[in-house]
Amino acid sequence: MFKWKKLGRIFDPRDYQPDSWMKEFAQSPSVLIDEKHVGVYFCSRPAPAPDGQYLSFLASIDLDRKNLLEIVNVCQAPLLSLGAYGTFDEFGTNPISVIREQDEVRVYYAGWTRCESVPFNAAIGLAISHDNGDSFTRLGAGPVLSYSPDEPFLLGSPRIRKFGGRWYLWYVSGKEWLRGEGKPEPVYKIRMASSADGINWGKFGKDLLASKLGEHECQACPDVIFRAGKYHMFFSYRDSHNYKSKEGGYRIGYASSVDMMRWDRRDELAGISVSKKGWDSEMVNYPHVFMLDGETYMLYQGNEMGRSGIGLAQLVGPQDWRDL
Amino acid sequence: MKWSKLGKIFDPTEHSLPHNCHEFAQSPQTLVLSDRVRVYFSTRQRDNVGKYLSHIAFVDFDKSMQHIIDISQHTIIELGDLGCFDEHGIFPINVVSDGDRVLAYTTGWNRKVSVSADASIGLAISHDNGLTFQKYGKGPILTASLNEPFLIADAFVALYGSLYHMWYIYGTKWKQFAEADAPERVYKIAHATSNDGINWQRDGRQIITDRLNADECQALPTVFQRAQTYHMYFCYRQAHGFREQRSHAYRIGYARSSDLTNWVRDDSNAGIDVADDGWDSQMQCYPHIFELAGKAYMLYNGNEFGRFGFGLAVGDES
Repeated sequence: MFKWKKLGRIFDPRDYQPDSWMKEFAQSPSVLIDEKHVGVYFCSRPAPAPDGQYLSFLASIDLDRKNLLEIVNVCQAPLLSLGAYGTFDEFGTNPISVIREQDEVRVYYAGWTRCESVPFNAAIGLAISHDNGDSFTRLGAGPVLSYSPDEPFLLGSPRIRKFGGRWYLWYVSGKEWLRGEGKPEPVYKIRMASSADGINWGKFGKDLLASKLGEHECQACPDVIFRAGKYHMFFSYRDSHNYKSKEGGYRIGYASSVDMMRWDRRDELAGISVSKKGWDSEMVNYPHVFMLDGETYMLYQGNEMGRSGIGLAQLVGPQDWRDL
Repeated sequence: MKWSKLGKIFDPTEHSLPHNCHEFAQSPQTLVLSDRVRVYFSTRQRDNVGKYLSHIAFVDFDKSMQHIIDISQHTIIELGDLGCFDEHGIFPINVVSDGDRVLAYTTGWNRKVSVSADASIGLAISHDNGLTFQKYGKGPILTASLNEPFLIADAFVALYGSLYHMWYIYGTKWKQFAEADAPERVYKIAHATSNDGINWQRDGRQIITDRLNADECQALPTVFQRAQTYHMYFCYRQAHGFREQRSHAYRIGYARSSDLTNWVRDDSNAGIDVADDGWDSQMQCYPHIFELAGKAYMLYNGNEFGRFGFGLAVGDES
């Protein structure tokens, strides 16, 4: 079993009011590491419109590489504009995942659109930075990964990786919308696609993980690293109802695979859960695991789906992952 | 080719239709069977919020195209589930006989906020001569992509050699022409190919040049072959004012190709135009060419986008 030491919350956009464009939410963290800094990219939101609806934008902070609890820079404006009228990402870019590729930085993101019968839909877009991640421009007005016969809606939660020169995208795909008392609620599962160029994708076409909470379990944020001969996935999962409470809220699960296609889900090994009190006492979700200077860290978001910010944990053990 | 008009042949308000539809018979497209010509079209139901839902229905003609044999009263293809691309309507449908099955390429519509709706292309398959179709999955086979960001619609599929060809349209922009008006859509004709009719490779370009201006809207391509030449008919219009002004409304355009790749637009040889008065005097749209007993026929809609039915013309190939 993994053992994580929580280092606490490292960023809460509410601490930067009233001057920052970020009002609340720091969701879906992922990192870009350079010599001095660990850049943390995430999604944040200005105040909602009068009708209560939010837009979500790409944001970043820089952490001191020698002291990850120290923020040395906070972005002063969104790093990527929203899509044009009628496009798939007109109302938000969230979640996101960043990766360096030669002289550029790419962000893969779920674009939000709003619908009449269901609250929203999403597809996965790509934007590119030529200034080391300070600003991004979308590659085209449409998505790079969109709907298909067995992935009918809600393509989101992208996590981009490159292994052995090939691009891999883990993401989620909607299965159905459940009608209930209030708004319809979606069910989505983790899937995968691969690509030679990161632009044209072939879908694997199968749900990767068995569902633990029944067929209506929602799975998100499939964050994969390769270590000790295996692929390791940390992800989030929750029930499709009552998920805004502690009881039904997001938890962090774990699975491993030798070939990226067959996954052995063993949530009991994940080793990180909600705290007794505080900012991550109701939910822990959207994990991102990275290695830095010989240590392994996990960034994650806490209560209210990340409304209250991002925290950091450091791996205590095991150091050898071969026996997991 | 010159087209001789045979007049309006179907008016939906004169018949009982399924789903409580009583107006609109849009985009007629055929399945030629041994004893009849089955003409599919999209008709409209008002839903509980007062908006339209487009449903597929068909009317069977005898092979003289002069007598109606039957009109469907059942559900030919279900609209999509909650949140699916075809939840709020299917319009149009293109049917292709493929061995012992019939393939249907549907355009599914879903309502949105900001813009009114989006569309994607789906596939459904019939094993009963086109009486009913079952969907190939809940999602679309062709939808928005990097450079075709929305409004993927109007598929027309034909098999040449061992390759399936699809002509379809894609949206390029939503443009606001006047401050008080909602933005209007602009769309163009494109082409894709497939080995199986399911997985498509797009050419990724507009294949028919604009005639009016860069905001010209091009829709509903239909293609047929004569000798070594491929002929495409389609409709086109101005991006705004097209509902009210005769001069801005849909007309039928024409292009030809010898290689299915390069098309020469030549509307002056379309051979059909709006009438001085009557059912197709304001606009002509949604052409569909089919062959029967060695002759080429064109089905098409007239005024008000087919609210009161469709007509027929026969090609003069002498």
